[in-house]
Amino acid sequence: MMKKIVMTTALLAGLSVSAFAEDKIIIKGSDTLGAKMVPQQAEAYKEAGNEVGFEIAAEGSSSAFTNLLSGSADIGMSSRNIKDSENESFTAKGKEIVETTAGYDMIGVIVNSANSVESLTLEQVEGIFTGDITDWSEVGGQAGPISAYTRNTSSGTYKSFQEMAMGKRDYGSDTQKMAGNEQIAAEVAKNANGIGYVGLAYVKKDGITPVKVDDIELKPENAKDYPIARSLFFYTIKGELSEAAQKFLTWATTDEKAAAVVERVGFIPLKK
Amino acid sequence: MSDQPQADEPIKFRRKGFKFLGLGLQEYIKYFFGGNASLAIIVLVLICTFLLKEGIAFFPDYNKELREYRQTGQEFVDYADRQIDAHTRINSDANIAYYAELNQSSKFEDDILSAYRSVGSFVRSATSSETDQLKRYTERIEDLEDNLAKLAEAPATDEIDGRAQIQQLAVELDDYQQRSEKLKGEILTHFRLHLANESIWENVRPGIHLSKESKELVLTAVLHKQPGVKEEYPEIKQLMADSSAKKKVATESLAEFKSTITALSKAVRPMKSFVRDLKDIASENAREAKKFSTAELRYDALLKGSEKAATESDKQRFIEQAGAVDRTKPNFEEITKPLIAKTDEHNKLSVELQKEIARLVPLLPKNPATESARENLQKVQGNAANFPNIAEESREEMMDWNFDKKNSVFHALGAFFFGKHWISNSSWRDFYGILPLFTGSLLIALIALAVAVPFSLAAAIYVNQLASRREQNFIKPAIEFIGAIPSVVLGFFGILVLGTALRNVSQIEALSWIPGFPMAERLTILNAGLLLAFMAVPTIFTLAEDALNNVPQALSENSFAMGASKLQTILRVVFPASISGIIAAVLLGFGRIVGETMVVLLVAGNKIKIPDFTEGIGVVTQPAHTMTGIIAQELGEVDKGSLHWGALFMVGLVLFFMSLVINFSAQRILKKLQKF
Repeated sequence: MMKKIVMTTALLAGLSVSAFAEDKIIIKGSDTLGAKMVPQQAEAYKEAGNEVGFEIAAEGSSSAFTNLLSGSADIGMSSRNIKDSENESFTAKGKEIVETTAGYDMIGVIVNSANSVESLTLEQVEGIFTGDITDWSEVGGQAGPISAYTRNTSSGTYKSFQEMAMGKRDYGSDTQKMAGNEQIAAEVAKNANGIGYVGLAYVKKDGITPVKVDDIELKPENAKDYPIARSLFFYTIKGELSEAAQKFLTWATTDEKAAAVVERVGFIPLKK
Repeated sequence: MSDQPQADEPIKFRRKGFKFLGLGLQEYIKYFFGGNASLAIIVLVLICTFLLKEGIAFFPDYNKELREYRQTGQEFVDYADRQIDAHTRINSDANIAYYAELNQSSKFEDDILSAYRSVGSFVRSATSSETDQLKRYTERIEDLEDNLAKLAEAPATDEIDGRAQIQQLAVELDDYQQRSEKLKGEILTHFRLHLANESIWENVRPGIHLSKESKELVLTAVLHKQPGVKEEYPEIKQLMADSSAKKKVATESLAEFKSTITALSKAVRPMKSFVRDLKDIASENAREAKKFSTAELRYDALLKGSEKAATESDKQRFIEQAGAVDRTKPNFEEITKPLIAKTDEHNKLSVELQKEIARLVPLLPKNPATESARENLQKVQGNAANFPNIAEESREEMMDWNFDKKNSVFHALGAFFFGKHWISNSSWRDFYGILPLFTGSLLIALIALAVAVPFSLAAAIYVNQLASRREQNFIKPAIEFIGAIPSVVLGFFGILVLGTALRNVSQIEALSWIPGFPMAERLTILNAGLLLAFMAVPTIFTLAEDALNNVPQALSENSFAMGASKLQTILRVVFPASISGIIAAVLLGFGRIVGETMVVLLVAGNKIKIPDFTEGIGVVTQPAHTMTGIIAQELGEVDKGSLHWGALFMVGLVLFFMSLVINFSAQRILKKLQKF
């Protein structure tokens, strides 16, 4: 009898907690995902008839893990894989982290629109950003010293680009570290000798042109072959996900409307 | 009546008033203010201890990191890598020289084509919203035409309905066609408007000068290639063909040059693949070392986790995983042996590479046609002559190298304060040398001072000594108002306005004699320095004006009595008398500049490299990174308590001590002022 009462109370408590949590899904983490993609997905999710509130904060991939750890987020967004040190902090609390791919992003190498260079090999890209190649004439352009603009070290893209396009070599000391995609695009647009890299969503800005890398054009259709593409992730904690959050996560990674949003904001949905 | 106080009795109401714990209201007020003052001091002490606590641990950690760099053999591999770097420079310069020669042949055509591209891209991006609109119209028109064609083909089930539909579509199509035509007209007008503006030529690469006819051609060709037009203008097509034809001829005549540089770049390949293998070994070693250094943490984490695990099976799993963590220390001697074993092979490759360079470099052309080729080939000759020295040096260092050589405690200190590289978040090894950041900060501050000091001192002297009261009442608040502008606003101004303006000015032909002009970048030391000068003006002006104000009236009156003029009095009497106050003002202005973050982060260009001082004064047109900037940029994502975190705190400490010294000396100098 006693056992029954305890069970019922526990069940009721559990139910009330989950009913409470259904009101709001808290998503925190990467700026790449949180700036446009996830908020628009949330809107679309609500439009599809799901009555649920969202709280979304985009403060960088690292904040996904600190917030998940402290329990102040249901879902974490990240543009990079979890680090070992971060994983250990979850282990220490007896928690296990679950990774879900949210979509793919292609990083475009952009040059000034007035630049006659239309295509670079991956080796040339590596040479330019590591500082081995210093003049445009070395890669078939008009003579002029190359100005390379990169993200700064706290950006997930900085590391992804290093791993995918630079053979893990260090950035050359002549590279300039910009605050974000926007600033890179703006500087390249204003500097005839500029080169930089930005996410797919930013390559349509005025004054810049994406170059082909290894002769592959920067197009969502080419995501499989394009050498500088990466995954974007949702992170959750095993067993701690509320039903509503789980439902949203499943919707965001499988539903066609969610995929349409991913495509609209300039990323590549899972199926492609 | 008796309770009326007598006139000569002391007033007693203080003692009668509010009392609590034996203290009166007055005392409480006194202690409240005293408490606030001491709170400020306590907070300051807390900040100091916090900075020290976080920062000091950096040195032992960094020493360990540098030791690991040695133990894993990465240092050894970097020595081996040096010759490749040296070769890359030689190869790169030779390449630049070759292409300079090659492009010389078609310079006329390429210049026009480049200008055509620049102007075209500017005009197109200026009208991009209209172009996008036009594209949407065109798509719609195509859709409608398709539908119409389909309707016309398919026999309509209901003739009247089908006809109505066709009519409706036709009306819509007509509407869109009209709109599209109108928009095309508008775009054309905009094109003309932009092209008529002389400033359109600012978009052309610096160094390209076109004749009047060529400019005409560019304008016509850009106007020709309106949205929707795929074909290039015939003369442009001709130029493209000419350019590639001329290049083809030139390639043939430069065939020997080309084969030499190809051989030169091939010469390094065996060495490159050899060093790549070494790097793989060393990277593997570094991974082992990393794993070992974090194994203890992972073990603890898993054990802790097992205590908190929800279910028994989870608990068991955690404990199992903890047991599987490899906590044995890697044997560094063993794992670096394969590297040392390859020293001889490296030497052999190095000798071969030296021979190839010595053989090939003399084959490069002696008398190139272009200035750029000549310069670059000279560099090649110099670097090639120096190559054996570099090879010898790296050989010696590799021979001397020992995985277990101890570093003194001061090694990390030296590596931090005099290190030339700040490499964080690296896949190879992080280095934290403050020198590039320090020089950047200092250079920007010096420029800012050089600009701000004369302006603010002159303004202070004018306002204090020469201006009428009405002028004073206007100028002083106006200058002090500058201090109210948020620095992020100034930063945006620097990016959007000042940077572009400076570069445009630097590209004026008549100014090309100024060192560093024409500038390649918008975000430079100069740009940041000018903005900071603007920010420092109110500080220096206000303090200097105070200092001038403090000079006793008697001094200048004496001077007038001796028959000195106003100007003589100011320059010979008042100014020297207030010099200590003015120096203090300048120092405090300097402190204000060095500590500024937002402007330098946005505007300085963030290049982590010691500026190239061989350019002389032109060094100011290069980008640089700063101490404040790096903290703001990197602290956000760094792991708490990691080496990188410690390094950023050390940078903070250095900044803190700089401000402390500056403020302290300013106060000491100010004290001298009290002599008067």
